[in-house]
Amino acid sequence: MNLHTITNALSEPFGYAFMQRAFLSCALIGFTNGFLGTFVILRRQALLADALSHSLLPGVAVAAIFVGLSPGGLLLGGLVAAMMVALGGQLIARNSRLKDETAVASLYIIAFALGIVLIRFSKVRVDLTHFLFGNILGVGDGDLWIAYGAAFITLSTLTLLQRQLIITLFDGAVARASGIRVSLIETLLMCLIVLGLVASLQAVGVLLSIGLLILPAATAYLLTDSFPKMLWSGALIGMICSVAGLFLSYHANISSGPCIILVLALLLGTAYLFSPRYGILMSSRRRGHLHDESLERWEGHQGHDHHLPGPRE
Amino acid sequence: MKTLEAIPQPILGISDLTVSYNRVPAIHHLTITLDSGHCVGVFGPNGAGKSTLIKAIAGLLEPETGSILIKGRPQRRGAAFIAYMPQRDAVDWDFPVTVRGLVEMGRYPHLGLFAPFSGRDREAVDEALELFQLGPVSHRQIKALSGGQQQRAFLARAWAQEADIYLLDEPFAGLDRTSGDALAKALHALRDRGKLLLVSHHSLTEAEALFDTAILLNGELVAQGPTRDVLSSANLQCAYGTAVYSG
Repeated sequence: MNLHTITNALSEPFGYAFMQRAFLSCALIGFTNGFLGTFVILRRQALLADALSHSLLPGVAVAAIFVGLSPGGLLLGGLVAAMMVALGGQLIARNSRLKDETAVASLYIIAFALGIVLIRFSKVRVDLTHFLFGNILGVGDGDLWIAYGAAFITLSTLTLLQRQLIITLFDGAVARASGIRVSLIETLLMCLIVLGLVASLQAVGVLLSIGLLILPAATAYLLTDSFPKMLWSGALIGMICSVAGLFLSYHANISSGPCIILVLALLLGTAYLFSPRYGILMSSRRRGHLHDESLERWEGHQGHDHHLPGPRE
Repeated sequence: MKTLEAIPQPILGISDLTVSYNRVPAIHHLTITLDSGHCVGVFGPNGAGKSTLIKAIAGLLEPETGSILIKGRPQRRGAAFIAYMPQRDAVDWDFPVTVRGLVEMGRYPHLGLFAPFSGRDREAVDEALELFQLGPVSHRQIKALSGGQQQRAFLARAWAQEADIYLLDEPFAGLDRTSGDALAKALHALRDRGKLLLVSHHSLTEAEALFDTAILLNGELVAQGPTRDVLSSANLQCAYGTAVYSG
């Protein structure tokens, strides 16, 4: 393959307006959800987010029944359904013997089944697989506006509240003691998760939307010990992999959702094995102990005791 | 019951404090007065209300009766001069934060939402790292520290926060001898700088060396005052309901 064919392969999709929209939408959502993912992972809410992603379906279906495939309607429907599952789960957990993860898991799977049934009644003839696995090529201007809006709201909220969020994520008790309204922050985070999931529906669909939220941040988590670096690298990984996945999907003629997720998975797998700090295959190349520290202790002991440190009683 | 001499305007004044979980009181009708410059051990058997007292002062639990006055004013959450240090197992040690990043968190209450980190903030962080001898490990992720260094890192965060009252929940739990000694030294350094430290502590061994003042609880206040007097065998008998070997 010469250079010319490669340039051709890269530039060809941009010749189509629908592909331009798709790329823009993918890049925006990939970046935003990659950024948001850091908060989801550190809050250990990956599974809650997964439950919420499934519960989008009945909302989307109801919207499709009443208003057709308008992006605003789908957004609103998805938001309402996911919120009902999230809040309903909390309500049930508080009022009954069921624990919250049982309550949320029951609700989301019921919602999902309901969604599959409801989709049959939608006004427009629509393929269920588009909802489940994404149909990025159908991105219209309305979807693009939703992507802009979601990106703006999510990024600005997370940036403004970054300090409160860090303390809350790191240590809820200390956050409460220092006057942060932890439950408010948690609810806000959940709203942002739902917004991120809904915004990524076109690109990856209900079943895979969790991937854009979790995989980039999980990869970044394996690569760095710095919170800001994890945030921004998660966002960049999300953006780059989404665009790369879309290229792959265009040329291989496969749904965009699975392509994007598999590209993200490749990166996660690589980090899992080869991350300089936390890769499982790299541990043999790391020093077994922190050399400077043992040296320091050694000198400390010699300074104080004038004899070599013996085994401790 | 022994009490400290009356001191005008104590830094911490607790009167008639009752805190309950689901209507079962964990501590009831406590009245305690403490002044700055003391390292206070909170003792008592399991379930005596040590953690409850610490959490109530931190503002994490609502009092059912009574009041907590700090510097003569009702206690409120978010006061930068109170620093609460969580139990070790409440901390996510894998969190992507370095020692320096952790200490920087102590400045957040002073910065609010938007204010950027100033030279003054950086100085406070440097000073805290230096005071607790964390300079050489400041770039390290918090899991890659010894237990004693981890405790000192949290103390450094409180110092950077310019706290006057330090609330520590079982900080010596799980520390080996060397780390425990270093932590004790750090606590004494804070006391000598005029801070008030309230430390819940499980073991009675070496209590006198660690704490100049002690509070002995058993749901209610058994005794308060100089450690030696408080941990008398009569008081311990009263708190633990059985003879305790205090080492």
